[in-house]
Amino acid sequence: MSEIEPSSRRQVQGDVAALAGTIERTAGDLALPEEPSNFAVVLEAGAPRD
Amino acid sequence: MTDLTLTEVAAAIAARRVSAEEVTRACLDRIAKLDGRLHTFITLDTDGALARARECDRVLAGGRALGPLHGVPLAYKDLCHVPGLPTSCGTRTPEYFTSAIECTATARLTAAGAVTLGKLNMTELALGPFGDNPHHGDVDNPWKAGHISGGSSSGSGSAVAARLAYGALGSDTGGSIRLPAACCGIVGIKPTYGRVSRAGAMALSWSLDHLGPMARTVRDAALMLQIVAGHDPHDGTSSHRPVGDLMAALDRAPAGLRVAVPENYYLDGVAPEVRTAVEAAASVLTALGVRVTTLRLPDPAILSDVANILARSESSSIHARVVHDRPHELGAAVRSRLEIGFHISAHDYLQAGRLRARLAREFIAEVFAETDALLAPAIPEPAPSLAALTDAPVDEIVRRMGRFSRLTRPFNALGLPAVALPGGFSADGRPLGLQIVARPFDEATALRLAHAYEQATALPTRRPPE
Repeated sequence: MSEIEPSSRRQVQGDVAALAGTIERTAGDLALPEEPSNFAVVLEAGAPRD
Repeated sequence: MTDLTLTEVAAAIAARRVSAEEVTRACLDRIAKLDGRLHTFITLDTDGALARARECDRVLAGGRALGPLHGVPLAYKDLCHVPGLPTSCGTRTPEYFTSAIECTATARLTAAGAVTLGKLNMTELALGPFGDNPHHGDVDNPWKAGHISGGSSSGSGSAVAARLAYGALGSDTGGSIRLPAACCGIVGIKPTYGRVSRAGAMALSWSLDHLGPMARTVRDAALMLQIVAGHDPHDGTSSHRPVGDLMAALDRAPAGLRVAVPENYYLDGVAPEVRTAVEAAASVLTALGVRVTTLRLPDPAILSDVANILARSESSSIHARVVHDRPHELGAAVRSRLEIGFHISAHDYLQAGRLRARLAREFIAEVFAETDALLAPAIPEPAPSLAALTDAPVDEIVRRMGRFSRLTRPFNALGLPAVALPGGFSADGRPLGLQIVARPFDEATALRLAHAYEQATALPTRRPPE
């Protein structure tokens, strides 16, 4: 990996930690069957009925 | 001639009131006149465009039209692989991206008769909402020099607004079609995820990338979408769902449709004139018989965080080689955004993907039980000065990027169709941008509302100063 400044590295790690913390708090009660590919199913199911 | 819209010039060519070569030369003349300031093109294919235009004229003289875009000059964001032209993706490497197949979207436009003028400037690797580029020049705003064009499809927005091309293709991972459309006062469509094939175009984040049209009017953009949308076996995420007749939808009056203006998030901290533009648009739609209400949305901020985790992880995977081997070739802000992805764990990436599915299910069920579409601003303020935005340490510039694209990114996480369109002008003449968002695969309703609003306001007739 390329070298980055220590201050920038701390900033990156802080940004990642903040994002991950938000995700983890919100994802804590995800149902077991939930998986990323369900997203496409959600879109198809949400389309208007012709 | 370049004041004609895409559909008007297509009709003029079809009726042989003007030739494809004349139209193409008119675009090339404007490019020669204006692109020294605007920096919209990375590759201009003068000879190829003129040869293609003459071919179109010969075919038409023989009594045959190639399609609804016969002889119409278009240009494409420089991440679409077009045979015979390099694809830099906004980097300093001319052939940064190659593909075994032509970009499906550009191939469909060509098959419909379009003339390819060339490849358009963009933010390096599509990573940034301002439209600056250290290798190919910062794309300028046609309405106000020194102000951002918006990005990352910066050349697409500026070129179409300045009438250098009748339409363009852009890509949108966090707002990159809608932001330049809004900054430059044109129409841009981020279709439903899976509606338009991404095959043959550089990926930034395969979960969030969308290709879509940019043009001066809703009708122009709808025609381009009609042509590029639909299933493509070369893209595994491409939907089999029929596209329907988008052009017919435009002519249906919007009376009776329900539109909601978000109560939360979308008007928080926006410029006063942006809020006024949304309120004015709501009034216009109400006068057309649309039932306009307000609605509290499920928290868009968490959707933005989900999109950030997915985008950072995937973009750093896709572009790892250049970051590892040639980091000095990348701009500082782009490199910084890519490096974030190396620090995101597989656990967090997967949780974000799972969370996205649940949030989208909840959002669609809750919101579209109450309304047929959302009306919101696309940008929080009219295009700011580039110098003011970038005169800061890299970390602060990255934060400013996030703030400027905060209104568009949630709809990438949701995959919903969103039409960006002009919503008036600031006191000093900079465009204000709106977006209309509809159910999955219901581009027709978003376009129907956008077209009705556009017809009622006649905004596309205003042209940038020269």
